[in-house]
Amino acid sequence: MSGLRSGKRLHPELRFLGLAGPGAAFIVISLLLPLLSIVVFSFWRTESYELYADWNLDNYRTLLGEAAYRTFFLRSLVTAAIVTAICLVCGWPVAYFIARWGGRYRLLLVLLLAAPFFTGAILRITALQGLLGPIGLVNMTLVELGLPPIEALMYTQLASGLGLVYLFISFMVTAIYLSLVNFNFELLEVAKINGAKPWRAFIEITWPLNWIGTAIGIVLVFIPCLANVVTPRFLGGPDATSFGMSLSQQFGETGTWALGSAMGVFLFLASFAVILAIWPTIKLKRSGFTGAVQQ
Amino acid sequence: MSAGSFGFGRRVAPTAIILAAGLVLLYVFLYAPILYVVYTSFATDVVWPFPLDFTLTAYEDLFASSLYGEALSNSLKLAFGSAVISTFLAAGGAIAVLRYRSRRRGLVMFLFIAPLFVADLLIGISILAFNARVLGLPGNLVSAMAANAVQGTAFGFLIILAQLVRYNWSMDDAAMVFGAGPLRCFAEITLPTIWPSLFGAFLIAFILAFNNLEITFYNLGAIPTLPSVAWGSLRFGLGPELFALAALVNAFVFAIFAAMYGLMKTGLVKFGYRGQ
Amino acid sequence: MPNAALELDSVTRRFGPVIAVDRISLAIEQDEFFALLGPSGSGKTTMLRLIAGLEQPDEGQVRIAGEVVTDLPPYRRGVGMVFQNFLLFPHKTVAENIVFPLRMQKMDKAQQQKQLGWILELLHLQGLEARYPNELSGGQQQRVALARGLISRPALLLLDEPLANLDRELRSEMEVEIRRYQKELKIPFVYVTHNQEEALTMSDRIAVMRNGRFEQIGAKTEIYTNPASAFVAAFVGHANRLDGQLSEIDGGLARMNWAGGQLLVPRPADAKSGDRVRYFIKHEDLEVTAAGLNGGGLNGHVANDINQVSGTLRDIIFKGQTANYIITLPQGTDLVVSDTPRTITLKPSDPVIVRWPAGSGACFAAEGA
Repeated sequence: MSGLRSGKRLHPELRFLGLAGPGAAFIVISLLLPLLSIVVFSFWRTESYELYADWNLDNYRTLLGEAAYRTFFLRSLVTAAIVTAICLVCGWPVAYFIARWGGRYRLLLVLLLAAPFFTGAILRITALQGLLGPIGLVNMTLVELGLPPIEALMYTQLASGLGLVYLFISFMVTAIYLSLVNFNFELLEVAKINGAKPWRAFIEITWPLNWIGTAIGIVLVFIPCLANVVTPRFLGGPDATSFGMSLSQQFGETGTWALGSAMGVFLFLASFAVILAIWPTIKLKRSGFTGAVQQ
Repeated sequence: MSAGSFGFGRRVAPTAIILAAGLVLLYVFLYAPILYVVYTSFATDVVWPFPLDFTLTAYEDLFASSLYGEALSNSLKLAFGSAVISTFLAAGGAIAVLRYRSRRRGLVMFLFIAPLFVADLLIGISILAFNARVLGLPGNLVSAMAANAVQGTAFGFLIILAQLVRYNWSMDDAAMVFGAGPLRCFAEITLPTIWPSLFGAFLIAFILAFNNLEITFYNLGAIPTLPSVAWGSLRFGLGPELFALAALVNAFVFAIFAAMYGLMKTGLVKFGYRGQ
Repeated sequence: MPNAALELDSVTRRFGPVIAVDRISLAIEQDEFFALLGPSGSGKTTMLRLIAGLEQPDEGQVRIAGEVVTDLPPYRRGVGMVFQNFLLFPHKTVAENIVFPLRMQKMDKAQQQKQLGWILELLHLQGLEARYPNELSGGQQQRVALARGLISRPALLLLDEPLANLDRELRSEMEVEIRRYQKELKIPFVYVTHNQEEALTMSDRIAVMRNGRFEQIGAKTEIYTNPASAFVAAFVGHANRLDGQLSEIDGGLARMNWAGGQLLVPRPADAKSGDRVRYFIKHEDLEVTAAGLNGGGLNGHVANDINQVSGTLRDIIFKGQTANYIITLPQGTDLVVSDTPRTITLKPSDPVIVRWPAGSGACFAAEGA
């Protein structure tokens, strides 16, 4: 075989495996095997908090048969799609500004996007409620002034969506930013010299060359939104039960692990469908990303 | 490149001003609730803290209670451990993928990015299911660390990869020809150039694990962390102590940012910025 | 050859289906300035990396100063190297960059400083010690890279297109300097380049590479005046290429039918009458004169062992010491003649005659014919 010379030196392939192997093995053990295990459990049966290995399709029948699950799922799907779109539209300009004009403070500006995470999702959501909720600062001030409160923000889908944007927009901005820092802005000048208007240059040059980062941003927002538990529970009110909330109940209160596993499989398939939809649009060769730099 | 940092002292592009306004709006949106948390931490009534009747009771209660201290310490341990694991694994993966033209590169990239495609909740429950029902392990700090490191590794991998694409590996060739062994080479040549990205990966992994509810919740058993304490206390309404604790954490984070800003301003440390 | 500075023994390196270096054997003497010349993709850089230890051969052996180093990593080989884009460590000062090899050898500080002083003076780098690489001009970076390569007085210095990123003027200045350091320090240099002028200016011996093999290896005058193949003839020096057919073999010479006339050319090995051939004649071997009374219009091999063709002067490219006269022949092809500009007073569109000694130049069987 070419290149597999057994000298005293480590073959590059071995060095590659030495570096990447631990991480790869870790992912297999801590992600793939657990996912596989819930696929298996989804065909089992739970009875009084115990899993029994008698293979059946009941969990999937329940999942597809009962209208409630369908509603939960569609609701989560639509919310996630809208939230992702909002994050995309609002995130791009911000990321662009930081990458292009952030100068030496770029890193700091990006870290400022991440810092709110230190406060924790629950507290942040509570605080958002304290500002915009039914007895929050904004609405109470309106009432004080004799104006009607903004009912749209009282335990509604809209409030829940706003909460999700609040929690996840930083992911979108960061993903796009990481792509833009490696983007050569001088290409835009070339485009302009050749007669492209700024928006045209954006569509022809900037957008396609940063599509991979954008796609990663989309995935990073969409997937956690699809599965989110906390936000709809506190901001969404009674009509906002999400798929994630229902799923987490199966592993918590009701203890129906088998049904929960089936829901997990469902969630995974939905996420996977999104990735499959995006995948064909990703062309490494056209992105300017070439992988190995050596030689 | 025409505009320097913020375009000060030069003609500022109108686009830059509009986009800067967008940035400011986003920061306001992101930080208004944080300010609300800090503000409320000084209030008696956390549900309707207007107008403020200033009190430090929340802080006194915070320090008097052992629960919050324990939760904070667990969260820190969990986040630190998870970030260390993530950074090591992610750096190894990113360097391997960029440096060596292996046929397994595609597979490795897929594995390292895969966790991004799986929701927190799903990672949490599947590891719980796997540990509890397949391996028969109870949840503890180590299993929670590992569970959190799954996502941390993926994020770290992306961050390091994005910065490392620009690194010129021939630099290592040069060092090696002049007598530096692999470790020496890494310490003297590679590390000084790439440390900001490792730092970024560590930080993101730390933040993710520090605040993670879903993954940690299902894998830590009865051990309290900050998010799980917050979650637990929700049904009785959040305790003022939580607001106080969050205010302190924020104060600490922003002290670090201020220090970084100072260092950047004086140009003492560049944090990887090498000019345009 | 007990004292060869570097020996390669049937060294082969493959990248998948591509054979980058194909069973190369080579010995380089002490004090020798050796150039590896070839177009990009010919395997010359891979060969240099094999010598440095940055690549490992699939087959064959590498010996440096008599010691087998095939399995040694680069950091145990004790060679120096100058890289194409200098590869100075951006976070180290000039002085730190230069003493790097000495630090790796764990030489004591005082000795390091002594060596540093010596090399700084040799390369005229005094006063730049505390600068960072991005504060240096291209020429200064080049000198620092050279200083780093030479400071430990390595057994061998490898240079990978070190002048490719410099502008023309600086390049010709550095060509002279690099050769001077090599002669002064008596360290063998292996110099990789795709630029034939660099190779011809600096080296003692040249190997012309193509597709992982040596097309020809020899003293530079030999390569220049006596190319072994059509590839070398086209690649080294500037030559006119004339395609024709042999009509008559006459000892070491042959007659080639070309453009309605016949030229007397050297006979390619094993060539027979009727073979298609490719004939190369260097620009400077031709001589151009105004078409006067003495036999203008007579093409081909004329009396007195002279090849002669007539045409029209199309353009004069002034190059300083020489000028290129571009002559269009009646059937449309161009000939380039390089001559001293002062000797001739010609204008474009003048009818001219081009002459050269019969039997000079180089002739090869046409490839793939």
